[in-house]
Amino acid sequence: MNPGKLATQAARSMRRYPLRTSLMMAGIVAGIASLAALASIGEATKRETMRRFKNMIGTFDTIMVRPGGGRSRGMPTLVNVPPTLRFDDARAIATNLPEIKAVAEMQSAFDIDVKYRDRAASPAVFGVSANWLSLRSDEVEQGAFFSEEQDQSLARVAVIGPELRKSLFPDDDEPLGKTIRIAEVPFQVIGVLHGRGAGPAGGSLDNLALIPVNTASRRLFNRDYVTMLIAQLKDPSRSEDAVAAVTALLRERHHIRPPALDDFAVTNPAAVMARVTQASGTLEKILTGVAVMALMVGGIVIMSLMSIAVSERRSEIGIRRAAGASRGDIVMQFTLEAAFVSLSGGLLGVIIGWGGLEAATRLQKLPPVFVWQPLGVSLLLSLAIGLAFGGYPAWKASRVDPAQALRS
Amino acid sequence: MIEMENVTRLYPRGQEIIEALRGVSFRVLPGEFACVRGASGSGKSTLLNILGCLDRPTSGTYRLECDNVSQCSDRQLSAIRNRKIGFIFQSFNLLPRTTALENVEIPMVYRDGRVDRRRALRALDRVGLGGRASHFAAELSGGEQQRVAVARALINDPALILADEPTGNLDAAAGRDVMRLLQDLNREGRTILLVTHDDAVASYASRELLLADGRIASDRAAFTSGPAMGGSR
Ligand SMILES: Nc1ncnc2c1ncn2[C@@H]1O[C@H](COP(=O)(O)OP(=O)(O)OP(=O)(O)O)[C@@H](O)[C@H]1O
Ligand SMILES: [Mg+2]
Repeated sequence: MNPGKLATQAARSMRRYPLRTSLMMAGIVAGIASLAALASIGEATKRETMRRFKNMIGTFDTIMVRPGGGRSRGMPTLVNVPPTLRFDDARAIATNLPEIKAVAEMQSAFDIDVKYRDRAASPAVFGVSANWLSLRSDEVEQGAFFSEEQDQSLARVAVIGPELRKSLFPDDDEPLGKTIRIAEVPFQVIGVLHGRGAGPAGGSLDNLALIPVNTASRRLFNRDYVTMLIAQLKDPSRSEDAVAAVTALLRERHHIRPPALDDFAVTNPAAVMARVTQASGTLEKILTGVAVMALMVGGIVIMSLMSIAVSERRSEIGIRRAAGASRGDIVMQFTLEAAFVSLSGGLLGVIIGWGGLEAATRLQKLPPVFVWQPLGVSLLLSLAIGLAFGGYPAWKASRVDPAQALRS
Repeated sequence: MIEMENVTRLYPRGQEIIEALRGVSFRVLPGEFACVRGASGSGKSTLLNILGCLDRPTSGTYRLECDNVSQCSDRQLSAIRNRKIGFIFQSFNLLPRTTALENVEIPMVYRDGRVDRRRALRALDRVGLGGRASHFAAELSGGEQQRVAVARALINDPALILADEPTGNLDAAAGRDVMRLLQDLNREGRTILLVTHDDAVASYASRELLLADGRIASDRAAFTSGPAMGGSR
């Protein structure tokens, strides 16, 4: 048996009957096209969600603690902050828990006017500790972030987001060293953040001003409670343990005994992320199921047309057997033929599916979604279908009795 | 070359059993040119199929060049057909949507080594169809198709050529061309077994086996000196 020569024969007979070949391919083309498109959309959506999520959270080796009780899930909101989580809670978490490497504090306010000369904007104003930058894996593009000493000495310095910079310093003015007024308190701009782009909900994450958290607490907001704590984990793979430890510590400090409700909530971004991708994973599974059904239909079409072809091609089988083809040769040749048909259908389907997707994203002005893995998987799948559904007709072909087939 | 002993072939058909061959024994020596004759239904094609390893006897033994063919596997039988036997059929049996050249190449597909296109072209040249290599089989006349079949039969240089009424669908002139080719192949030392109803065709053979009702009724040397194929058949 020589697979190369048999493959040549298979490819020739595929070309010899173009109508039958295209009929056999049709189902596969449709199935693979939709599968390739769906899978690409699914994969691209997942990646985009992950990217935006990461934009908002920074790194995945942190957990978040915010005030207010209940078992509310999802991302913390920053308005209407209950006064239950305090600075000394943050210090206790940082010093008492071995699971935690560092804690960053954050206070926030919205709808505060920020002015530079005659320009005004209302960004989010965050008071954050000096280690904020590293915990969020944020970057300063220009200038510097404030230091621990500046935080302790209640320095009036600010680091602004690129969008706020654009609204306050529109003409490419140099913002560093300029004095802006936050709620009429003068602050010196010492840095500009790197842009983060859109969050999971689509809003911008760049319209903000960061000031030292102690400055914010004493000079601006006059609060000794925080909007949120971010705790960095020593071991990111054991985030659930850290959540449990933080919860236990805070319950003790706040004198809470279940069934009394917590007056704080701990969020584990890694877990939330897992839920989000799992949710989009279910949708993907349903869509994939539909496409796989289409492929099954395509496979069955191949199987039935091939079976019909086997009876039509009895004399060809007889001729080949007389010329020395063994049963194995016949099985191989017909299986290869089905595999080629199916693979060509798959190739065409991938091109159509991907082309359709390209056209759709262009039309909708969405970001391009080329992800090659689903396309490769689709191709392999079409090959597998050809082999699986071509196998039975090929076996039937090999059982044709040559003496009978040659009797005319 | 060929040794058959008490070969039978039964076909079940519904309740009854059809005895196509009822105990056939004969030998053929290498280089012989024998023809098989007999009435329709006497078992000629059945015999030829067994000789060609396309079918197996129900009982009895068949040796081809000392191999006991009755005990071979499908793979071994296929190899024997491929290397030792060339087939020519009444209805040509070419692949219709395939060129003459590719038809001739088919036996090379199922043997070791590559498909030698030049060799196939030489075989076509030999049967006088070098100029038709790229024509589809269906575009050729009956005589040309049968000559392509002859080229295909000899491409793997077989020792035995089996022809089942090779001139049955041809006119006298085309039939004569095919018989001359077979005669050439016999002169090269190949053994030829030929089924025919036609006296003129039979006259090429040096031996005549007569089948009647699944048995050999007579086996005699043909005394005609050379072919006497006239205008009428
Ligand atoms: N596959 C089969 N199933 C049942 N009966 C068969 C089969 N093949 C052949 N026969 C029967 O066996 C007998 C011999 O058939 P065979 O084809 O060998 O005759 P033949 O001598 O070649 O006839 P012809 O000259 O018409 O070609 C016939 O009666 C035929 O009907
Ligand atoms: Mg016959």
